[in-house]
Amino acid sequence: MGNTVSVCTYGHAEHAWKKLQESMEKMKNGQKQKIVIGVGHPGATCQGAAFEYILNVYFEIKRKNLEKYADLIWLTNEYQLGDFAMGGAYVKFGGYIAPTKVFAESFLAERGINWIKQAGVHKIDKNKIHYETLDGEYHELDYDFAMLIPAFSGPGIKAFGKSGEDVSDKLFKPNGFTIVDADYTAKPFEEWKAEDWPSTYQNPTYHNIFAPGIAFAPPHTISKPQKSPNGTSITPAPPRTGMPSGVTGKIVAQNIRDWIKTGKPELKHRASMAKMGAACIISAGYGLTNGIAATMTVYPIVPDWEKYPEFGRSIKYTMGEPGLAGHWLKWFMHYMFLHKAKGYPFWYLLPE
Amino acid sequence: MQNINLERNKARGYSDFSQAPSATKRTQMLRKNWFFQAYRWMVLNIKILRIVAFGHS
Repeated sequence: MGNTVSVCTYGHAEHAWKKLQESMEKMKNGQKQKIVIGVGHPGATCQGAAFEYILNVYFEIKRKNLEKYADLIWLTNEYQLGDFAMGGAYVKFGGYIAPTKVFAESFLAERGINWIKQAGVHKIDKNKIHYETLDGEYHELDYDFAMLIPAFSGPGIKAFGKSGEDVSDKLFKPNGFTIVDADYTAKPFEEWKAEDWPSTYQNPTYHNIFAPGIAFAPPHTISKPQKSPNGTSITPAPPRTGMPSGVTGKIVAQNIRDWIKTGKPELKHRASMAKMGAACIISAGYGLTNGIAATMTVYPIVPDWEKYPEFGRSIKYTMGEPGLAGHWLKWFMHYMFLHKAKGYPFWYLLPE
Repeated sequence: MQNINLERNKARGYSDFSQAPSATKRTQMLRKNWFFQAYRWMVLNIKILRIVAFGHS
């Protein structure tokens, strides 16, 4: 790409901030700016991070009273807003059980942010984003500032056995992610099951190789696969960052520790994404009183339609709530995780 | 593109277009009210800790 910015690393985020400031300077001079934020590939994931970014950009623009000079657009490959690459969720909302679509659309609509959904970006020029929508049509979108999250892939390394033979196909999927104890049998969406998802993250051929977090190859997406009439798959990949990465990393470390201590590969600790909950806080703003956040928990991450036939997830443990409380919670978690990362006293008591 | 203002105008004309819900003034006030949010903060902590407890075996 090169024409748009990203916020996936510290360096990228710093560069994005500089570019955004340039755009805001132009707005101060009365120049209208089109700001496009979202995902930059038909199969990209991390919609949550992009969603948080667009809300933060809106916050900055509003803080500087430049709203009338900014045209903010949310560009996503989700079938509908609030999918967040996990097929959306149902949450209790104002006395109803509503889909997260309502939750996400309302958050954008309240801020006057327009959106383009079901869009697979295939090319980006200096001032134009080219994308295809699920109906098979090709579109162009002008932009002055664009932050599009790229698609993830494995590192693309090759693996060789003892006698020098190429064993890459036993270790990696074509997308570069590591093969683990998942059920990779190709089957239609209606036949997907919670059991397809891995729980020990151990490679079935090489038992001393584990791939937790973002490293493992998921058996399939969580969102329903969608294809345009031109054959382009416009489906977000399953999200594995954040809480699932922390939890899977921990259980793999515990299993390896037990293996070393006992000498037996028992793999007692398990963490399947179909049996694990996750929390996500999309927080915008800064300071004690100025922020707002959308707090969301899902249980389980991967819907289990056999256990929860009505909504795919537990309605008791799946919730969504906008407000200042989530913003405080994210602030608190920020310092809590830094405390843990630095190994300060009692770090091990803090959850992932 | 989903244009918010255009959608609102279509909805005003009784068309069959869905419209994103907007928070009422009371909801917006509650989202920023310190006392209510302090209570919600405690509730969220409990709910997230419950999720953490279910996290793995």
